[in-house]
Amino acid sequence: MKLATIGVGNAGSKVVDRMVEFESKTNRSLCRHVHAINTARTDLAKPEYIPEEQRVLVGDTNQKSKGHGVGGDVEIGAEVMSADVDEIRRAFDDIEIHNVDAILVAAGLGGGTGSGGGPVVIDALQDMYDEPVYALGILPGEYEGGRPALNAARSLQSFVNKVDNFIGFDNDAWRAREQTIQEGYEEMNRELAARIVTLLAAGETDDTDVAENAMDSSDIIRTLATDGVSSIGYAATAVDAQPEGLLDRWGGSGASAEDPLDDASQAKKIKSLVRRATNSRLTLPCEVSSAERVLVVVSGPPSEFSRKGIESARQWLEQEAGTVEILVGDDPREGSSRLAAAVLLSNVSDAPRIETLQNQAVDAQEQIAEQEAAREEKINDLITDENDDLDPVI
Amino acid sequence: MKLALVGVGGAGARVVDAIRGAEADGDRQLCYGNLLTVDISRTLGGDLDHVPREQRVTIGDTHRGVDDGVDGDQDLAVEVARADAPEIQRALDTITMRTLDGVLVVAGLGGGTGSGAGAVLVERLQELYDKPVYVLGMLPGVDEGSHAALNAARSLRSIVPAADSTLLFDNDRWVDADGGTDADGNADATEERYGRANRELASRVLTLFARGGPDPSSIGANTLDASDVVRTLSPGGVASIGHAAIELDDDGGLLSWLLSILPGSRERETSDERTDAGKIQSLVGQALNSRLTLPCEVSSAERALVVLSGPPEKLSRRGFESARQLIEEETNTVEVLAGDDPQVGSSTVAATVLLSNVTSVPRIDSMQRDAVEHERERVGDAVPASEESD
Repeated sequence: MKLATIGVGNAGSKVVDRMVEFESKTNRSLCRHVHAINTARTDLAKPEYIPEEQRVLVGDTNQKSKGHGVGGDVEIGAEVMSADVDEIRRAFDDIEIHNVDAILVAAGLGGGTGSGGGPVVIDALQDMYDEPVYALGILPGEYEGGRPALNAARSLQSFVNKVDNFIGFDNDAWRAREQTIQEGYEEMNRELAARIVTLLAAGETDDTDVAENAMDSSDIIRTLATDGVSSIGYAATAVDAQPEGLLDRWGGSGASAEDPLDDASQAKKIKSLVRRATNSRLTLPCEVSSAERVLVVVSGPPSEFSRKGIESARQWLEQEAGTVEILVGDDPREGSSRLAAAVLLSNVSDAPRIETLQNQAVDAQEQIAEQEAAREEKINDLITDENDDLDPVI
Repeated sequence: MKLALVGVGGAGARVVDAIRGAEADGDRQLCYGNLLTVDISRTLGGDLDHVPREQRVTIGDTHRGVDDGVDGDQDLAVEVARADAPEIQRALDTITMRTLDGVLVVAGLGGGTGSGAGAVLVERLQELYDKPVYVLGMLPGVDEGSHAALNAARSLRSIVPAADSTLLFDNDRWVDADGGTDADGNADATEERYGRANRELASRVLTLFARGGPDPSSIGANTLDASDVVRTLSPGGVASIGHAAIELDDDGGLLSWLLSILPGSRERETSDERTDAGKIQSLVGQALNSRLTLPCEVSSAERALVVLSGPPEKLSRRGFESARQLIEEETNTVEVLAGDDPQVGSSTVAATVLLSNVTSVPRIDSMQRDAVEHERERVGDAVPASEESD
């Protein structure tokens, strides 16, 4: 698949940066177009792989932002982005839409720019193009507190309503313990990037000379076309270095599924990899059985592929996910030293973190409303003496 | 964040001078040269080191009643500030507000000029600009007498509703927190006492409001920006700043340094990092409890912001999270913004906490009681105010 990828806000831009890093290190070319959009000038200086001219600062002439972010305020995030929507449209004019199959908008939902501005960006894209627009949304961890939870719970509704699919990432599930602040985020973003790129980069090659199980972008689009929330599982294993002679014997790189290489042990390896991926820590932990559609991309050197393995993985998943809408395909990566499986669970309806997030948000909203209601009176009490004997100086 | 600094009265001017001095010493910029001091006097005060002469305005020199100053008379200060409004206006015109995020008015609230002219100035600035006008106010110590308490109590009633937020600094508490000064209390010691307190205050203001240079290594994973500070302060009311720092090689010294450069020392990292997380949490606890510029009931705050600065390899994620969580618990609010401020090569880790709209402040209550008593005596005895001893 070929994507136009747009990171909105700090978290979103960093994920996109890591996606580009991952694809350049693994010789993939998923993101044909990248953009980072932010309201904070300092954060826009951070990406390492997004070219400078593809970074868009919005709201720098807005009194409430002025290039200094939006203070985690989702309303200001939306307001600032809407005010500069023409600038965003101009930036998107660059997208060579005939060259991409879909658009992915990555954003953190706990802050202000991604959560408030993300839906505005999506609206603009949906207006401009017929291609599907997906979101990669990062949910704040419970430990990040009530305000981010409230931002995220509200923003999630807008995102899910506007996109063709919302792929979730739960910071709680991926929180690592012993790390510095910087490393913690970087590692999470790298994990997420590996998953999303492995999954979506399948079938990006124009080469028709591939195995018959090869995934193509229409398979991915079909699986994602559920309008729901999705989660990705992933597992990878190192591929033993094959002696050169063996490859030659089986006819080299173009080895197709009909080859006798399709032996039992390879089939088992594929199946167990898919199983491991499905049971792995998902980007958004959820009930696998609540998924409506499932897509599996097995990526690695074609010599490792096994039609039997793919078939038995599919059967196993049918049981596990309780759906017949399952596509399993391969993504040949000549010369890759890893065999990886990425599993997309599309439209999962049972994701516990979304529920706890909503509860946390409701509590936060009530508390904020109470504090706001009492504010004026409390300030007045503080600055007024007990019997109101003292006059203001002016 | 870029804020114009306007110091009103002697104490306000000295704090502005201290902030300007701290800017010059470090790499943090707050006012970018946009500063001004306003005093009421017949003579131009000359004890400022960092404020250029042309940026010091003296008003009231032709006003009868004004001698060396207003002698603690805040009503006179209000009158003078209103009468000389055009002069103040001319001085304000030299500030290029267009490029700034707001104004910080700095004033001692015990004195006549700071408490009276300060209130007039805040009102005027709000009329002039649509940008936030913040106040940094110094509350008088108990030993400054009940007339100072009256000035401050009345001034707060005008300034707090007019300003976008009023950051307060309790002189009493501050000197204690610094471990006290000479028992003699001689003039030099007093001067030094305020000098030190002002420098401490200046460094807190800069840590909170000013960012370092454009060096990419100083951009954190969660850099707090001007909008974050504006949002935290937006409920208005009174705010307090807490700050605590630790030297990193305090406990390990040479040995831990040696271990850290020896090959194979990575095994130690896990336990080291755990200690760091604990350290950061206790640091934030310290900043909240004993090191506030204005001691207050932490749980009465409506919003909070915390910045952790230090060498990036020492800012543990877990420490950062538990610091944020600790603040959410202590303040009993969900509106907590947390940021990191990496300082490559620094040997200290510091936590700076901003508590916005704190509404339970014992010092303000006691000041109001002193003020009411003072007012009653004054009216009852029908004699002019004079310095009282406690």
